[in-house]
Amino acid sequence: MTTVALTPGQLAAAGPRFAGWHHRHLIDVDVLTWPEIELIMRTTDEMKGILARPIRKVPALNGRRVTTLFYEASTRTRVSFETAARNLSADVVSISTATSSVTKGESLVDTIRTLEALGAEILVMRHSVSGAPYLAAEVFGGHVLNGGDGWHAHPTQALLDLYTMRENVPGGDLRGRKVAIVGDILHSRVARSNIWSLTAAGADLWLCGPATLLRGMDRWATAWSGGAVPGHGRFNVTTDIEAALRDADVVMGLRIQRERMQGGLLPSMREYAARFQLNAKRLSLAKPGAIVMHPGPMNEGVEIAPDVAISGRSVITDQVANGVAVRMALLYLLAGAHEAGPGEPAR
Amino acid sequence: MSVSEGTRPDAALGPMVGEVVARFELEKAWLVDPVSGREGPGEIVVMDGVLESVVWLAGDEAAGVTDRGVVVAPGFFDLHAHFREPGFEDAETVATGSAAAAHGGFTTVAIMPNTQPALDEPGVLARIHSASKASGSPVEVLAYGAVSAGRAGEQLSAMGELADAGVIGYSDDGSPVRTAKLLRSALLYAGMLGLPVVDHAEDTELTGGAEAHEGYVASVMGLAGWPVAAEVNAVSRDLAVLADALRDEPRARLHLTHISTAAALDLVRWAKAAGLPVTCDVTPHHLCLTDEWIPGSRRWSWEALAANGTARDPWVDGALTAWPYDTSLRVNPPLRTATDAAACLAALLDGTADAVATDHAPHTVVDKEVEFGRAANGISGIETALGVLLALVDAGRLPLARAIAALTTGPASVLAGWPATAGTSAARPRGLTEGSPADLVVFDLGESWMVTPESLRSKGKNSPLIGRELPGRVLLTIAGGRLAYEDPQSGTSNSNAAE
Amino acid sequence: MTDRQIMTGDEIRRAIVRISHEIVEKQAGTQGLALVGIQRRGVPLAQRVADAIEEHEGVRLPVGALDITFYRDDLSLVAQQPIVKGTDLPFDLNGTTLVLVDDVLYTGRTIRAAMDALIDFGRPRAIRLAVLIDRGHRELPIRADHVGKNVPTSREEIVHVRVVEVDGEDEVTIARQVRTPETAVAGN
Repeated sequence: MTTVALTPGQLAAAGPRFAGWHHRHLIDVDVLTWPEIELIMRTTDEMKGILARPIRKVPALNGRRVTTLFYEASTRTRVSFETAARNLSADVVSISTATSSVTKGESLVDTIRTLEALGAEILVMRHSVSGAPYLAAEVFGGHVLNGGDGWHAHPTQALLDLYTMRENVPGGDLRGRKVAIVGDILHSRVARSNIWSLTAAGADLWLCGPATLLRGMDRWATAWSGGAVPGHGRFNVTTDIEAALRDADVVMGLRIQRERMQGGLLPSMREYAARFQLNAKRLSLAKPGAIVMHPGPMNEGVEIAPDVAISGRSVITDQVANGVAVRMALLYLLAGAHEAGPGEPAR
Repeated sequence: MSVSEGTRPDAALGPMVGEVVARFELEKAWLVDPVSGREGPGEIVVMDGVLESVVWLAGDEAAGVTDRGVVVAPGFFDLHAHFREPGFEDAETVATGSAAAAHGGFTTVAIMPNTQPALDEPGVLARIHSASKASGSPVEVLAYGAVSAGRAGEQLSAMGELADAGVIGYSDDGSPVRTAKLLRSALLYAGMLGLPVVDHAEDTELTGGAEAHEGYVASVMGLAGWPVAAEVNAVSRDLAVLADALRDEPRARLHLTHISTAAALDLVRWAKAAGLPVTCDVTPHHLCLTDEWIPGSRRWSWEALAANGTARDPWVDGALTAWPYDTSLRVNPPLRTATDAAACLAALLDGTADAVATDHAPHTVVDKEVEFGRAANGISGIETALGVLLALVDAGRLPLARAIAALTTGPASVLAGWPATAGTSAARPRGLTEGSPADLVVFDLGESWMVTPESLRSKGKNSPLIGRELPGRVLLTIAGGRLAYEDPQSGTSNSNAAE
Repeated sequence: MTDRQIMTGDEIRRAIVRISHEIVEKQAGTQGLALVGIQRRGVPLAQRVADAIEEHEGVRLPVGALDITFYRDDLSLVAQQPIVKGTDLPFDLNGTTLVLVDDVLYTGRTIRAAMDALIDFGRPRAIRLAVLIDRGHRELPIRADHVGKNVPTSREEIVHVRVVEVDGEDEVTIARQVRTPETAVAGN
């Protein structure tokens, strides 16, 4: 049984009974303060405890209605959210574009208004256009939880990544720990959300990939090179895979999609694998205890070697399990966040 | 202020839009005459639609009159607007577009041919002219014809017939002239007719799927980048083709509209210095707004500019106050950086940019209340153009007289440079000239106004300035001697100041 | 609001010792017994009961901590989610006699939630309830097996239990909410 015994000091630090969570929606991790991220991590600990029980279900969201609205096919993420919601006893309605009137040309705004009229309280949304959940949140009276939008953000993935890293890094503290994310950074919402959360955690973050798939990221890195954004620090962007992996504590691969070849961004998958694949030889550059992560779904043999994906270093299945716990934590926290009062942030 | 002694029996209500202004006197206002280059305290009298007298005051008579109060300027001329008729009347009509123009102080508007059907033959122009006449608005509607038939980028439109029907130039705006080859033909043929090609300079190969200016903001927001190179590439293509065409047809003319990047403006600056007959305009939104509005900043471009000329970081500055991904910010070309906005201003000040044109692009809610990446491009801007330029004036970045010139003599001089329009009334100098038909705007720099959907006469409520106060409420617009717009409140609230 | 002390630290200590004797007496020994404190102040109180039993019986009973947050029936009514403080049940519940320990018994809703939670962890032989204060006003058919002190209260009163482990001192006070005209209006 996973348990958490908080010391009196930690209990006191947790603050008053009703303090802690002020966000009505969670669309990206960029709005989270470090104490709020810590609160999510602590609540996730509790959810992991529930998942270890004989009965993996609590009545916390009994009778609350969670709707998953997926404009992009993603069975794994949708199942993770829906499992999380059911573990909290919520009623789950699942909508995907293939079965909805979206295919008949209904606009996002109309769809959201219809779902609200049908009683949706928490809307978990996946969309292929960056920023779409902000539009949803503008018209939706309940809570929006972003399940990934375009290239922009994937906050639950970043938080489960952070949780998994903390579990595996000695002391659970990422400050000064080197994290390398390798792959198609340009098109990756996972990378973007991880930039916010990992720089907040104080990690030494390196983004690596072919120049065509890093486009624009150097401008972001340059803007933050002074570490000036409150709560966030500098990070590195490089095409040098060896520099990225050398002495890394955490190595994360990102999916390479075949469409990138048609777009003229990559010569071939073979060439990508030859230069950037996470294989045993390259990983020998990382620290001996380094862990390997991947948000899935994996192209084994392209961005990651099959033996690495199933090696003892791989925590990829931990990521999947932690994903349910993190999503339970966020559903729970959001369900209690009411309309922001005067002076409170709307986001 | 009120316009008195209307021609209808119930003159107490004042004249209606479209009626000749029988008599209008304004004492002690700040007059700006960009033709003579003079500005200062003065008085004007309009009688039977004619600007009867312009009196410049001095000494005691001028006491207390400043450039911070009621200002009189010549009516504005917009080189670039979309009135959507025929085909997209849900978004705008000639009537609503004209009303919006008058509310913005504009008395002449040149509209783009990307209608449905496209303005590629005289029949469409006739429809527009009849709609303008039917609207009753005295705002003069000029039009560009399409460069290519159906704006398809394949064959030339009915250019000669369009010229005979009165178009002032040719453009495939909304899109660039598709190929260099087609552009060369268009420049030659239009040049023969004494008219320009007005190009929307964009390399669409580089901008396919693009959502926002390629840079820091787009990277953070996960938006597909719209590279500077796309504009630079198109401008250099256009200039090279123009130089080539001029060898065969010396009357070939090129106007580059809504130039938005520092690099492209440098190219225009170079081309002008080399003597190429090219002109260009910049928009109010590229002067004053930046891409940092997409994540939620609402500060003016000059407030986002660091001392070293680079763009400040809105995240570092904690400048993000508005909800992100507002689709009213989606525009083509995209909002750029503070550095580019400063380059647009510098170009306006050094004459590289000949005019400010609004690229007024109204859209329906249906086309804008969608995901950012799927929203139609365009800002409904003809009513806010003066206000944002006056914000530049208020900030001390742009002299008032230069702002007025950019909206009057600037566009007029562009038309004066085209052989077929030179000497026509459209290319008239646009000053405060005694004895000419009254064509002027009166606005109060001492009074700001709130941009709201209701305050906009345009059907297009797609303005990122909604909810913002802008300086310089327009009190009165007279076009060609006839009433175009009168502020509903000015009859009472400004009676003391004006009469 | 005025605070009146109703138990001193010493009185709390004696109440704990008495409860510890009662628990052992009722079970006729310590065999099969386990203690579960309800977060937050029930947890240190359960530890103290275990300490007392160890002192007079020489046996250390297993002690767990139970957070009932996810089982509350008023989650949709509160302005913000309560912060979860952690559940730790380091023993097998099946077949044990569990003694729930909490600071104050009032409506009974917390105990209802606690029993729901415990049953999700296993099938105890019996569940008993020990509280430091029983202040009445039950809304559910629940009663305590062991009570440190019965305190008749009105609903307008608030009972504060302070323990050294959380609050830095041991005492129980009672306070009456003073209704100012403003709060009276707000209450309507």
